[in-house]
Amino acid sequence: MSLKADVQLDAKGLACPMPIVKTKKAMDDLIDGQILEVVATDKGSKADLAAWADSVGHQFIGTIEEEDILKHYIRKCSNEIIEEQPFEHTISISELQTLKSGVLLDVREEVEYAFGHIEGAKSIPLGELEDRLNELDKEQEIYIVCRTGKRSDLAASKLAANGFTKVFNVVPGMTSWKGNLSKNI
Amino acid sequence: MSNKVAIIASNGGVFDAYKVFNIATAAAATEKEVAIFFTFEGLNLIHKQAMHAVPLPEGKEHFAEGFAKANVPSIPQLVEMAQELGVKFIGCQMTMDVMGLTKDDFIDGIEVGGAVTFLEFAKDASPTLTF
Repeated sequence: MSLKADVQLDAKGLACPMPIVKTKKAMDDLIDGQILEVVATDKGSKADLAAWADSVGHQFIGTIEEEDILKHYIRKCSNEIIEEQPFEHTISISELQTLKSGVLLDVREEVEYAFGHIEGAKSIPLGELEDRLNELDKEQEIYIVCRTGKRSDLAASKLAANGFTKVFNVVPGMTSWKGNLSKNI
Repeated sequence: MSNKVAIIASNGGVFDAYKVFNIATAAAATEKEVAIFFTFEGLNLIHKQAMHAVPLPEGKEHFAEGFAKANVPSIPQLVEMAQELGVKFIGCQMTMDVMGLTKDDFIDGIEVGGAVTFLEFAKDASPTLTF
């Protein structure tokens, strides 16, 4: 299987350190938030790419192994801090399990959702939200989650600007989720 | 945390070359500032002619096949990649004098310096590696 990525890098047949070097070069051309799929055959690339992403500050999402092929997914992150006023209505991720009604909206990329999400969460990546507002019900409470609370903050403001009133940003985000994860891989 | 990796290359065989350049390129790709100090036989690895015929250790010639099979990049390719990624090459002046070599015998883009040039770079590097 293959998951949705913005850019694909073919590193098949390459030995260390080439998968890392090629990934670094490919990553330089991505914009923040985009996802790179690295297709490799070097078995060492699994540990190497995760360590590399961690070291330079990108998000290593996961690896799919199919026979001799490894598909790695990495999301580009920069350290820019959003200076805008944060969305005022928030709820702590630890309170999610106590809620009785409403919809949980996961605005991370499809790949991130596939590698682990909260059971029952609806997936609409932030970039698609504008075009998919009709899938959401204004009468329901909408709890928006992402990885660290940044993208969900933008999504909450976007929904509020479109007339949604029962919107909450789940803070901080999936990085602090202690419950079970459902996977689509 | 230090953002520098300092490497001393003091041997001139194939195994030495891969240890030096694999670590150097991987570190540079991980956004580290990398410098390699080439001294004694390590100068082979950046010598215009010698770098194209770096020998396998005696008795280990059969590894040539393994290198080809694993699709490992050639030494000149690794050198080029390292330079492209901004790895700094420092040739040891003293060794060059002893061997009767000048900067022109080496690939473009190297610096020539003495031990202090390297020490200055390495003083706040972590790790410092010797091959």
